[in-house]
Amino acid sequence: MAEQIQKKLQGELEKYQQLQKDLSRAVAARQKLEAQLTENNIVKEELELLDATNTIFKLMGPVLVKQEMEEAKGTVGKRLEYITGEIKRYEQQMQELERRSEQQRETLGRLQQELQRGQGKG
Amino acid sequence: MVPFGPLAFMPGKLVHTNEVTVLLGDNWFSKCSAKQAVELVEHRKKHVRKALDDLQKVMMNFESRAEFTEDLQRMSDAASDFVDIREEIEDDSIGTKGKYRTAHKPHSKPKVSNVFEVDFPVNGNDTKSVGHFQSEEELWARLEELERQETLLGELDRMPGTVETNGEDASSSEEEKEDKRTDLNGTYRAEDSLTQGNFHKQVTNSDLFGGQLNGSTYYHSDDEDDIDVGDNSVPTIFFSHTVEPKRVRINTGKNTTLKFSEKKEEAKRKRKNSSGNGHATPELPNIKTPADIYRVFVDVVNGEYVPRKSILKSRSRENSVCSDTSENSAAEFDDRRGVQRSISYDEATQSDNSEGVLEEEEEEEGQQQPPKKLPPSSGTAEAFSGTVIEKEPLSPSLIPHPVIAHPVLPTILEWKSDEVLSEASEEPPKRISKFKAARMQQPT
Repeated sequence: MAEQIQKKLQGELEKYQQLQKDLSRAVAARQKLEAQLTENNIVKEELELLDATNTIFKLMGPVLVKQEMEEAKGTVGKRLEYITGEIKRYEQQMQELERRSEQQRETLGRLQQELQRGQGKG
Repeated sequence: MVPFGPLAFMPGKLVHTNEVTVLLGDNWFSKCSAKQAVELVEHRKKHVRKALDDLQKVMMNFESRAEFTEDLQRMSDAASDFVDIREEIEDDSIGTKGKYRTAHKPHSKPKVSNVFEVDFPVNGNDTKSVGHFQSEEELWARLEELERQETLLGELDRMPGTVETNGEDASSSEEEKEDKRTDLNGTYRAEDSLTQGNFHKQVTNSDLFGGQLNGSTYYHSDDEDDIDVGDNSVPTIFFSHTVEPKRVRINTGKNTTLKFSEKKEEAKRKRKNSSGNGHATPELPNIKTPADIYRVFVDVVNGEYVPRKSILKSRSRENSVCSDTSENSAAEFDDRRGVQRSISYDEATQSDNSEGVLEEEEEEEGQQQPPKKLPPSSGTAEAFSGTVIEKEPLSPSLIPHPVIAHPVLPTILEWKSDEVLSEASEEPPKRISKFKAARMQQPT
């Protein structure tokens, strides 16, 4: 009886750990996206500062590709939107993960109590 | 010769030396002149500086939080106990003072009050127990009532007073109960210094426990002392919004009992005097004889103390549903009326609001307290200066409570409330005796 509970406890514990890992991954991804967001904002502002007299390049791999000013601005704007969308998605994911990990924690607590009771009896 | 790597030179010419390729971020480059490059760099620097400032602010926030916690710890270490700043609504968690039930001698009123106040589980009794003034008979009756209740104290500790209060209210006719309540109010106030709403509850509790009459205000000081002792010398700061009015039921004649709000005023004054210091012990008037009553309850007129007129002599009885009042001089009537009205309002509201409106009432009374000072200051000759405005909504409903036999009384009362509403400026025109008007109406 106690072993059953112990096995169950193990299983739940693993699930909980998995959830925690997912959560931390989501957090890291979100942080990365945040950095990209800031950077793109800076690029956008700097593009505003520039005028048409100078050429803009985009680095794609080892190649510097020439771009038009408007094209560059459009690209940066789209990228910004994409990043914000991604951030939102990750936010939701994180909330979901937190909720589930909370549930797991409760389950774990219950199982632990049962285990202690069982061990106490036995 | 131009440098060709770190180790070599090559013959050549450098052209377009003003063109630099600037990294804009996120794999974006731009060829721009040196000046533009400088601009871009400046812009980036600005951005970084802003980020730094934000982070600094965050850091300062955290630091202040840590500092605050440290201070708190230091304070608690310095003092033997915590410094509680309480402003509680419910007294669930109030620690009981050590002396829960010191033996009380039924016939030693002062001591009794001390005991009871200590009994109350109040955090740091706020020594604001306002002197409950009660007539001697009331005190005795109260004592007995309290003794009876003491037996119930065991389970009733901290019980929400509503039950008690209800019971009390049911027998509202009993002066004792009222007295008790008032006493308790005062007591509780000292104890709990809770908000008014809570105070109501406290009152009931105090009814249960604090039956002891706290007529003698000086006892309160004793109580307070006791309380402090029982408090384990925990510095406690109590917040209380308003002063719970003490109501003293006094039989003013036929079937009516006026409730003195003297105590309330007293308490209010004391509160005001000691505002801010939760632990301040308001000096409680030492009332040992009926004469002391008059000494204590005085009106402040023009900064001086003017003894308040006896209600038995005042016209207030007319106002307070007492039946026949003979000829009333307008001035006298108004004068008394003003004072009485405030009192009766307080009392009326007190009695009726015992249930649930206490909070309101208390608020009103609280509000009234400051304005109440106005009428006295305006001179006894003036009618009520409308300080009861807050009570105004309640008064009409409350006034019918004591009113029984006077069909005209509601009118009077209404009129009174109207008067209350009207500002002081209107009062002179209304100096015409209300009672006269009522009498005039009666025949009609």
